[in-house]
Amino acid sequence: MAIALEQTRAASGRVKRYRMRRVAGHVLTYLGIAVALVFFLGPFFWIVTTSLKANNDYFAFPPVWIPDQPSLAHYVRLFTNASGFRYFTNSLVISTLSMAAAIIVSLPTAYAIARWRFGGGVLSTLLLVLRMLPAIALIIPLYIMYKALGLTNSYLGLVLVYTVVYIPFAVWLLIGFLREFPVEIEEAALIDGCSRLRALITVVMPVIAPGLAVVALFAFIATWNEFLFAVVLTGIETKTMMVLVTSFTSGGTDMFYGEASASVVLGVLPAFAVAFALQRYLVKGLALGGTKG
Amino acid sequence: MPTIALKRKQWEPFAFASPSLFLIALVIVFPLVYAFYLSLRDFDLSVGPGHQFVGLRNYTEALFGDRRFMESVWNTIVIIIPSLAAELLLGLGIALLLNRVIKGRPIITALLAIPAMVSPVMAAMAWRMLFGVKYGAINNLGRQVGILDVYFDWFSTPLLSIVTIVLVEVWHNTPFMMLVLLAGLQSIPQELYESARVDGASPWQGFWSITLPLLKFTMAVGIMIRMIDLTKLFGLIFVLTYGGPGGATETVAFTTYLVGFNDFRMSYASALSYLIVGGVLVLTLAFMWVQRYREARAA
Repeated sequence: MAIALEQTRAASGRVKRYRMRRVAGHVLTYLGIAVALVFFLGPFFWIVTTSLKANNDYFAFPPVWIPDQPSLAHYVRLFTNASGFRYFTNSLVISTLSMAAAIIVSLPTAYAIARWRFGGGVLSTLLLVLRMLPAIALIIPLYIMYKALGLTNSYLGLVLVYTVVYIPFAVWLLIGFLREFPVEIEEAALIDGCSRLRALITVVMPVIAPGLAVVALFAFIATWNEFLFAVVLTGIETKTMMVLVTSFTSGGTDMFYGEASASVVLGVLPAFAVAFALQRYLVKGLALGGTKG
Repeated sequence: MPTIALKRKQWEPFAFASPSLFLIALVIVFPLVYAFYLSLRDFDLSVGPGHQFVGLRNYTEALFGDRRFMESVWNTIVIIIPSLAAELLLGLGIALLLNRVIKGRPIITALLAIPAMVSPVMAAMAWRMLFGVKYGAINNLGRQVGILDVYFDWFSTPLLSIVTIVLVEVWHNTPFMMLVLLAGLQSIPQELYESARVDGASPWQGFWSITLPLLKFTMAVGIMIRMIDLTKLFGLIFVLTYGGPGGATETVAFTTYLVGFNDFRMSYASALSYLIVGGVLVLTLAFMWVQRYREARAA
């Protein structure tokens, strides 16, 4: 009897110790996560508050971390003086057009590979190699070609490059979504006399619409973020946000903090939206180079 | 199971794939061939539009006679190695923490992933301002705490510049490593840990004998992808240092850019870009080999 009591007491001590360890473990886990959140999101917080500060807040000591009277003056100035509106619109237009074109061109290709194993392993290997291809290898011949054809400083030139550069990525992702699509539904449509192309548009596309949206968002953010092609191939009228933001570095150490931070905020906005919209697909998309410029 | 054999038109697969194949040929393959042609000539826009065949001279110059390019190779390696190590360790640490989080994991993961979604140029700009002399947050915070002067210049020496670049790169891409490793961690069956616990293994032993061995290939894939992308490091350098001080942070991609669009030596820049392509190709083949090995192991 006494022994049994002793045993339960020892057991309850063990349980208590185990629970304490677990609580401590949880506290440390969340503490670590909190530190990580501060490190990875802190810069964004500071950039946003900086863009809302008044000019004399920059000189203040102790530094103003959160402005008491946030103002949108820097955004207004960015949009009126620094042609920010123009470049923001350029980025939007170029990214939207490239995204649409990349999807339209890639979907049939992905379909041919997924359904007919078109090109065997060769084509998919080629696409992977193209994904790894450094943009620096393309920019020199493209610049010379574009100069000769008068395509620099045009929407068409940049949209064309972006569309093609993101085809490998889009095709890879779309193959995955198409393979998940049940072939039976499609075959039923084909038996009813539908052509392949019509079956693809009217039967397959609505079902894989979520997949298309994922690819589209990745393509959008990728073209939005791209810098090398943009800085070489655009001119004064067609600059994108990425090119605009680098123009503030010429101010040396006294650069225009207000406008610069406002343009960074506008430049990272799509990234925030996409990170939340695509939570489940982030690993796949990033591994395939969905956001790399 | 009777399936109805559908008539297959031979031309259809090709017709479906042809638009993208045509565009790839036009915008990727043709320029690459043209760049190779250029790399064998002496086209220099600062001299004039004419150019002639010089054989492999540009390649031999780059490999044996160009200190600047060799230094940029070295700079790239010096940036890549610490970045990869830090990204792997930090990414693994955060992934392990996230794996223990029960509430709100998706939202925390999405928040932590944001830096990886941002353009390198934007990341660099944000950090350039954070590191800014006088108005930067870091110097001002340091002054408030009393450890830094406001006039401390984070880009004053080559070593400090590289440290700063690595820090920004780690901030930018650790989230990617974290996501990859978290996916790997979640594919490890929980029963393995339970049976190890029953056998009296400590969590530490579980980590060394279950987690690490099963995560090895995921890590290899993550590192390979980051390494290939790091050989193209450009936007970060462009904004943070523009290759300075004194060319100490010029990476291969950045040097090639300067040779092409500052010096206008188009042929020589093409040769340099082909050397980079060669390096990336070797890394890509290694990457595909790792993946194939992994698939063979999984099967």
